[in-house]
Amino acid sequence: MAEKKKTTTTKKTVTKKPITKKAAPVKQDIKKQAPAAKPAAKPAATGSTTQQKPRVGVFICHCGTNIAGSMDLMAVQEYSKTIPGVAHVDNYQYMCSTPGQGKIEKAIKDHKLTGIVVAACTPRLHEPTFRTATKEGGLNPFRFEMANIRDQNSWVHMHDQVGSTEKAKDAVRIAVAKAALLQDLYPKSVPVEKAAMVVGAGVAGMQAALDLAAAGIKTYLIEADTSIGGRMSQLDKTFPTLDCSQCILTPKMVDVGRDTNIELYTYSEVNAVEGYIGNFDVTIRKKARGVLTPKEAEARGLVGGGCNGCGDCDAVCPVVKPNAFEMGMKPRKAIYINHPQVVPLIYTIDFDSCIKCGLCVTACGPEKRAIDLESKDEFVKVKVGTAILATGYELFPIEKKEEWGYKRFENVITGLEFERLICASGPTGGHLVRPSDGQTPKKVAFVLCAGSRDNTGSGKPYCSRFCCMYSLKHAHQIIEKIPGCTPYLFYMDIRSFGKMYEEFYYRIQDEGAKFIRGRVANILEDSKSKNLHVMTDDTLLDRPVDMEVDLVVLASAVQPSADTNRTRKLFGVSCSMDGWLLEAHPKLNPCGTTTAGVFLAGVCQGPKDIPDTVASAEGAASAASIPIHKGEVELEPYFATCIDEKCAGCGMCVNLCPYSALALVEKDGRTVMEVTEAKCKGCGTCGGFCPGGAIWMNHFTTPQIVAQIDAFLLGGEQ
Amino acid sequence: MERTKGYPAALDKKLQDTKLYVDDSNPEFSKSVKAISRTNSHMCYQCGTCTGSCPSAPRSSYRIRKFMRRAVLGLENEALTDPDLWLCTTCYSCSDRCPRDILPTDVIMAMRNLAFKRDIVPVNFLKTVTAIYASGHGVPNNDVNRAAREKIGLSRDPPTTHTYAEYMPGIRKILDHYKLKANADRIIKEREG
Repeated sequence: MAEKKKTTTTKKTVTKKPITKKAAPVKQDIKKQAPAAKPAAKPAATGSTTQQKPRVGVFICHCGTNIAGSMDLMAVQEYSKTIPGVAHVDNYQYMCSTPGQGKIEKAIKDHKLTGIVVAACTPRLHEPTFRTATKEGGLNPFRFEMANIRDQNSWVHMHDQVGSTEKAKDAVRIAVAKAALLQDLYPKSVPVEKAAMVVGAGVAGMQAALDLAAAGIKTYLIEADTSIGGRMSQLDKTFPTLDCSQCILTPKMVDVGRDTNIELYTYSEVNAVEGYIGNFDVTIRKKARGVLTPKEAEARGLVGGGCNGCGDCDAVCPVVKPNAFEMGMKPRKAIYINHPQVVPLIYTIDFDSCIKCGLCVTACGPEKRAIDLESKDEFVKVKVGTAILATGYELFPIEKKEEWGYKRFENVITGLEFERLICASGPTGGHLVRPSDGQTPKKVAFVLCAGSRDNTGSGKPYCSRFCCMYSLKHAHQIIEKIPGCTPYLFYMDIRSFGKMYEEFYYRIQDEGAKFIRGRVANILEDSKSKNLHVMTDDTLLDRPVDMEVDLVVLASAVQPSADTNRTRKLFGVSCSMDGWLLEAHPKLNPCGTTTAGVFLAGVCQGPKDIPDTVASAEGAASAASIPIHKGEVELEPYFATCIDEKCAGCGMCVNLCPYSALALVEKDGRTVMEVTEAKCKGCGTCGGFCPGGAIWMNHFTTPQIVAQIDAFLLGGEQ
Repeated sequence: MERTKGYPAALDKKLQDTKLYVDDSNPEFSKSVKAISRTNSHMCYQCGTCTGSCPSAPRSSYRIRKFMRRAVLGLENEALTDPDLWLCTTCYSCSDRCPRDILPTDVIMAMRNLAFKRDIVPVNFLKTVTAIYASGHGVPNNDVNRAAREKIGLSRDPPTTHTYAEYMPGIRKILDHYKLKANADRIIKEREG
């Protein structure tokens, strides 16, 4: 909505100024023509009283010195009084404050105003505020219009007092032109489905789902992997408390599996999303798993059948593949589970490698009959009121930074590989070894900011936010497990900003970790010993460094997980330049998105450690439960309406609508278009296109927009 | 001012005031380095990747990171009078790896330009100018080389200005346009008499 105003206001500098000032009298009657034309045309008349002569109140906000400091507000006020249709002009320090809003309410009564213009910041920030004030004053809240004289004026033209004053006059005149033609509108309420969806079952998704379920909301939890748990289940210990990651996560995983309000879909993805807040129709694709759960078995009439996780199939499967959960450092079969604590404990067939020999089917036996080698993807449709995206992250492919030799040198590993190697349930039973020869390393280098804080275009410009801390934790684990082993941390800054984090840094340095302040320039391998030479600059000592170590751990940058982009598009969520999903406001609405009813939890919004991830998940769950508990949501009444007499039934608009909100119907023997108001987002695509001018865009009607353009180009003249 | 009578002069140097004062910075210097080098020389965050990559650093006192710091802070005199400025081989390893996407090599070249304007330049660099003016080569061919070339079946002189002396006037015209030769001669004369 704000955009429309923007385009008109910005153009003005080029075009004329002089005409603006002259010819005030003529405009009055033109104004009257336009509204007269419209109520007749407008079929879904909402009981408006448009016929009366417009009386617009203009309120100019100083915004402290934000606006007042860059323009002559008194000149804008004096000018506003001369604009036809304006019945009252006032200004105030902060229009959004209680006294400021009080001015609007009082003026509506005192001056019998029909429309309100506030010249201040942006509709995004304060339209709701002033609409409420308008309503409190006794007017329909949609008779309010905002003129943006701050973000798009005083802030940009801070040093051009004259220019910004003139631009503000234009903005007010344009807003008044629209306010004079505004009509009463009534928002529609739609019921909200008492169910929610969480996409991604890492620690964020699980926490959000548990919270929603605890609040009594039916929650569908969708996970692409075969088990829930996400990245956190791959970690050995967590900083700074050194809890065992699995120990604190597994109870949550079990709770998720048990909760009767949570319907878990693992090895599944969101396939399609239709609808809007309160009524999302989501199609889930359950990927062919080849193994039946006890429930699914029962549905097929196999009572007491289905997978019980015994692992007999695993034992006989002849196909061996690298286990992705163990970062490829351990083998798995074509029929597999990630690790012993998986939830749900159901095996999965990797159909890309399965040779369908049938050995597993035999091993599973005639009672369970859990294996179905012919299983196909299934599609399930569910209806939810709100949705939370918690799609997480993956490691940046650090081999792209060739100077560190990942994938070229055997003894260069990533932080996640380190986690698996040091983990008791990992491929080495918790013994940290060098991949090249299985020896225990005595000197380990940690390369921090590997690919983060990198503006070259090949890395990531942002701080990945948890690498400093997990590298400190890795250093601790080495010192603890391998006596005499020294960790060297090559760092630029140690960012230990969280609660008890700086204390943890102190502790690790005290334990004997060596910190070298210098970003690693490159790593060379001794081809015989497979030892690595870490080359950098000790910037504090001011000496170049060539340090020979046994093992290098790269604290690789993180990036949004592979499927994030596809999923976000289904839900209509934007992303930032780096691919992280975009919150509605980075400070004041970090869990919301610009799509009503869709929320963000965890790292998909930006790198977060576990405490922040869980906090964000609880925030998202709380936000997502609000519309559900309210039971209904108001939709902005900006939908399109068809003027049946003018509609030729050509149907061109039907195909243009991005929201499938339009259809052709038979009415009184004629084919005309009909709008499903709840689906319409008021984008205006149809209204702008309709060759017969038969589509009426509420709140952005053709007469209103034409009046704005006239006000801009002709100073109100026609 | 001698404060350490009777002690070696080196001690006097050790006791110097080396504090950084606000007047030491010349913001104009930062700006001109940026303008000449055409790289974001003010954006260095001192990670040390440049020195770590530098083939000169392990063998000399040259620290490219220090020059980047001086560019950020505008420490003009310190940068231009440091003889290390001339130890960069311009291999561009630092520029390849700089995570801030700065070209430190070009910063060094910009500083060398500015130093030359103040006649701060080692004589051997000026002699290279003289050599180019005379032969078109910074390192002209010599008899040892000629013999080596002959041995492997090459012409005694390479197909450059050594063979095509008729292109020398063009090269000299370029050097004269920038008064490089005249300045070099003048400075060498001042230094060596």
